[in-house]
Amino acid sequence: MKGFLLKLSLFVAVVIILFVWIFSRANGYTDAYYLRFTTPPQSNLILGTSRGAQAIQPAVLKDSLGKDFFNYCFTLTNSPYGPVYLNSIKKKLKSESTNSIFILAVDPWSISSITVDPNDITHFRENDRFLDNTYLVNTKPNYEYLIKNAGRNEYKQLIFGSHDTSTFLHQDGWLEISVPMDSVSKNKRLEKKLTEYRNGPLKQYKYSSVRFSLLRETILYLSKKGHVYLVRLPIHPKFLEIENELMPDFNEKIQTLIPISNGYLDMTVYNNQFEYVDGNHIYKTSGEQVTKDISSWIKKQEMKK
Amino acid sequence: MLFNSLDFALFLPIVFFLYWFVTNKSLKLQNLLLLGASYFFYACWDWRFLFLLMFSTLLDYFTGIKIQSSNSKGQKKFWFWLSVLVNLGFLGIFKYYNFFATSFADFLSNLGFQVNPWTIKVILPVGISFYTFHGLSYVIDIYKDRIKAEKSFVDYAVFVSFFPLLVAGPIERATHLLPQIKKSRIFVPSRAVDGLRQILWGLFKKIVIADNCAEFANLIFNDAANQSGINLVLGALFFTFQIYGDFSGYSDIALGTARLFGIELLKNFSFPYFSRDIAEFWRRWHISLSTWFRDYLYIPLGGSKGGTWMKVRNTFIIFIVSGFWHGANWTFIVWGALNAVFFLPLLLTNRNRNNLETVAQGKTFPNFKELISMVGTFSATVLAWIFFRANSVTEAIQYIKGIFTSSLFSLPKFNGIVDALIAIIFVVFFLIIEWQGRESNYAIEKMGLSWKRTFRWSFYIFLTLMIIIFRGSSQQFIYFQF
Repeated sequence: MKGFLLKLSLFVAVVIILFVWIFSRANGYTDAYYLRFTTPPQSNLILGTSRGAQAIQPAVLKDSLGKDFFNYCFTLTNSPYGPVYLNSIKKKLKSESTNSIFILAVDPWSISSITVDPNDITHFRENDRFLDNTYLVNTKPNYEYLIKNAGRNEYKQLIFGSHDTSTFLHQDGWLEISVPMDSVSKNKRLEKKLTEYRNGPLKQYKYSSVRFSLLRETILYLSKKGHVYLVRLPIHPKFLEIENELMPDFNEKIQTLIPISNGYLDMTVYNNQFEYVDGNHIYKTSGEQVTKDISSWIKKQEMKK
Repeated sequence: MLFNSLDFALFLPIVFFLYWFVTNKSLKLQNLLLLGASYFFYACWDWRFLFLLMFSTLLDYFTGIKIQSSNSKGQKKFWFWLSVLVNLGFLGIFKYYNFFATSFADFLSNLGFQVNPWTIKVILPVGISFYTFHGLSYVIDIYKDRIKAEKSFVDYAVFVSFFPLLVAGPIERATHLLPQIKKSRIFVPSRAVDGLRQILWGLFKKIVIADNCAEFANLIFNDAANQSGINLVLGALFFTFQIYGDFSGYSDIALGTARLFGIELLKNFSFPYFSRDIAEFWRRWHISLSTWFRDYLYIPLGGSKGGTWMKVRNTFIIFIVSGFWHGANWTFIVWGALNAVFFLPLLLTNRNRNNLETVAQGKTFPNFKELISMVGTFSATVLAWIFFRANSVTEAIQYIKGIFTSSLFSLPKFNGIVDALIAIIFVVFFLIIEWQGRESNYAIEKMGLSWKRTFRWSFYIFLTLMIIIFRGSSQQFIYFQF
């Protein structure tokens, strides 16, 4: 028995050492989420889906508001407002946080659901995905996340170091996208995204009152720790048309949340002033401007108090 | 708790430790531990159905004793039929009731009578077909005076619910497993190493082969109407390797796990895709179920001893029942019937036992005739799997029709074609390993035993890395639903 256990332990040890080495190579190129689970708990959070992930830059906020922000936005599939996201936010938030600032990017998609019954919580798309299955969100390296979620492409990056240079996740959670921004490439991506959304999500997504009430719950929870600001990020005007088809009364819905938050900024009125990666996501240079605008608005709101 | 889950990776070492280090002084304690662990393992799915498993175990244990102690034939018959009917009754309610109710309503509707069938909303208890068959074989064997009724309830309960085989077999026989449960077990390091090796190979089959193939099989089968002929062929091939990797992988893990506890389970697969005819395929595929049906259905029906009509009837009965065992759907019945059609010519011409030994025994490559026979048998199997995988017989027929179009000669095109190519490379690698190990109990049983330890270990570490790195998106074991 001793010999058997010794051999087995040796085998397991070799495998573990190999994986420790592989996982030690994880960085901002590994995937678009990993680093967000490797920092200590945070006080000031940016929340939302991929729009927020690419648009709102914590470094810019720090310059303007003098606070360390952390971008904890993921994607529409993984972090629409709901029980999974709220639970993960609670874990990421420093327990003793007070006077914090929270920026919640809101849009019609993040309070809708693709499920047949949009309020069927048991079949929400984010269930059992990485945000749901990662219990430890503040450890570095985060073996739990990597073991559970790294797939073939991530291992390719981890082992061979090969990666897609267009996507880089910063330590502060901002997802930087670098793509050619000439008008031909931009329009091609825009058309592709519009077709994709018209044929897919627009037909599939429906307003979810459960998600909306969980957005409310998220705001109420965060309000106890500081100030909560709601922001509707700018998008390409053609995308706004799709969103208005999906939820024409979105702004009216959000109005009901303003009293429990510290303000709502609808930036879609400035849609024409910015450049977009694909219509749905703002380009990084415009993102910087958007972040500055948000911080100026927050400053004003804070001064009013 | 799935065999390929982190939960099981924790559960197994804990039970192993308690078994060999804490309860090793007493066989009774070891068996109690196995029973407790098995019930915990089962309860992880749905604790409510644990009561059904316990009831079924108690029933067969009790009726077994009653059958043996009955003085009259009538009494014996009563207890026997009580057990058979209750066991099949549960199976019928949980697995087949809705099928019969809706099929009957459909039949009446075809005659012009509209009936709303009364169906029940019930989850199929995992493993019910397997543990019911365990119990049935035990009771039948006692009734036929082949074995004595087990006196120890714990030992009998371990026989029925031993966790490696509880949810998807192999379907054990009391004559094979009970004596092992009753005998004290000794830890043999070489056997334990062999068990771990078989677990490793089973995980590779399930996680790398089956789960990767499943992604593309699902993609193609779920949108079959819009696929080209060549895509449909690929879809059927992906499913063929998915189901083999899935089920034989599960069986390997089960056998390997049992071996860690000093228990040998029945072999369930023996390289079926290298079969030269369909009779050989059925001697190599889900062996524990095929032999169960042979011993408890086919032979009692007269087997192949009677005239031609008898042979035809019995063959169809055994294949159709076997198909129906897999699930309450006409697709499984057609799948069974199709296999009967493939098998009958061999039986009627007395060629069903032509290929008893392993193909190309002692050789590196098969000869031309063997190769052609293997390809032919494999193709027939792939065709039959289309019925097994499709949601309805109509869908399956449409699927087959879709293959035979001009697009059969086009290049395959679907989302993730590069990943599909990687999956194909895995399948080729897998087939090479399976081929070289086809004379062993499982493909890597003897592989590398003569190599230097460094090389052998490197190979095992390579497999482990493949399992973790190239895992497909996790899929439920297919046979859990049966």
